[in-house]
Amino acid sequence: MVREFEGATEKDAIERAIEELNLNREEFDVEIIEEERKGLFRKGNVRIKVYLDDREEDIPAPAGGDIDEDADENEPNYNRIEYHDPRGAGEATRTPPPLNPTEDEVKTIRFLTEVINRMGYEATVNVIRKEDSKVVFGIESKNSGILIGRKGKNLDALQLLANVYANKLSSSMKVVVDAENYRIRREENLVRLATKTAEQVRKSHGSRLLEPMNPFERRLIHTTLNTMKDIETKSEGDGLYKQVRVFYKGN
Amino acid sequence: MEKDLVEYIAKSLVDDPSGVNVNMIEGEKSTILELRVAQSDIGKVIGKHGRIAKAVRTILSASATRTGKRVVLEILD
Repeated sequence: MVREFEGATEKDAIERAIEELNLNREEFDVEIIEEERKGLFRKGNVRIKVYLDDREEDIPAPAGGDIDEDADENEPNYNRIEYHDPRGAGEATRTPPPLNPTEDEVKTIRFLTEVINRMGYEATVNVIRKEDSKVVFGIESKNSGILIGRKGKNLDALQLLANVYANKLSSSMKVVVDAENYRIRREENLVRLATKTAEQVRKSHGSRLLEPMNPFERRLIHTTLNTMKDIETKSEGDGLYKQVRVFYKGN
Repeated sequence: MEKDLVEYIAKSLVDDPSGVNVNMIEGEKSTILELRVAQSDIGKVIGKHGRIAKAVRTILSASATRTGKRVVLEILD
């Protein structure tokens, strides 16, 4: 379930969400969708999106619910990826559709599962997509909010470690770690942010500095806006998390 | 718990898992984890510009939100 809240500051908006939903701060995942800084004569305004874990309210678990329980008792979850097992026909009804993982992918699934378990959370990891050398691993967990973290921080950390681990096994695999389609959601938000910012600087003829982003996110901003002839983008700052400045350059 | 987590990650990333050793110093509000690895593996747990070390610390703090205790990771050589 996704709900939106508004407040003068981020903290304010979160507090409003806590109050209205009657939850603890740890129980949901927050994403900032709009942020206007407080000015001298202007009140700040922040809109946030709250991702709720509604799995527990889900009545009858889809096919595969039974399998979950059995698997939890005896074996670690990652054993479930043995789709080539002829008896596993019933499991094939599970979404996402099974992709036959390679040996390295199985090892990476195990690595991610073991790390998450040792963090104290339960999760099922599957290969959900493959594009060229890129392999997308999906985390299913009722704690996915925490596993994603603020602005995807924890998901990024898991992804980095999984990449280092996978590169030790084979040099060609690029690991993407996702949960609750966070990556796609974030991409959509960034494209929206980019076009909105472009409109703003087009009106003001000035420039705007976006929040710090990782290289992938910055690239998305650059590529979204480089088709606009009157807008220019440039990265500023040092290190991994640079900031993109969007400015108007006219025709 | 967190000790186990660091140990597992470190052992998965280094070339010499037998050289991995984690020492836990538990305080009232925070826990300090001292990670030692074989000299040749130090880069494997720190990474370029400390990227790996940073990721491990991020994972640790995500884990520690469950207990509310602060966990500090120190990599010793």
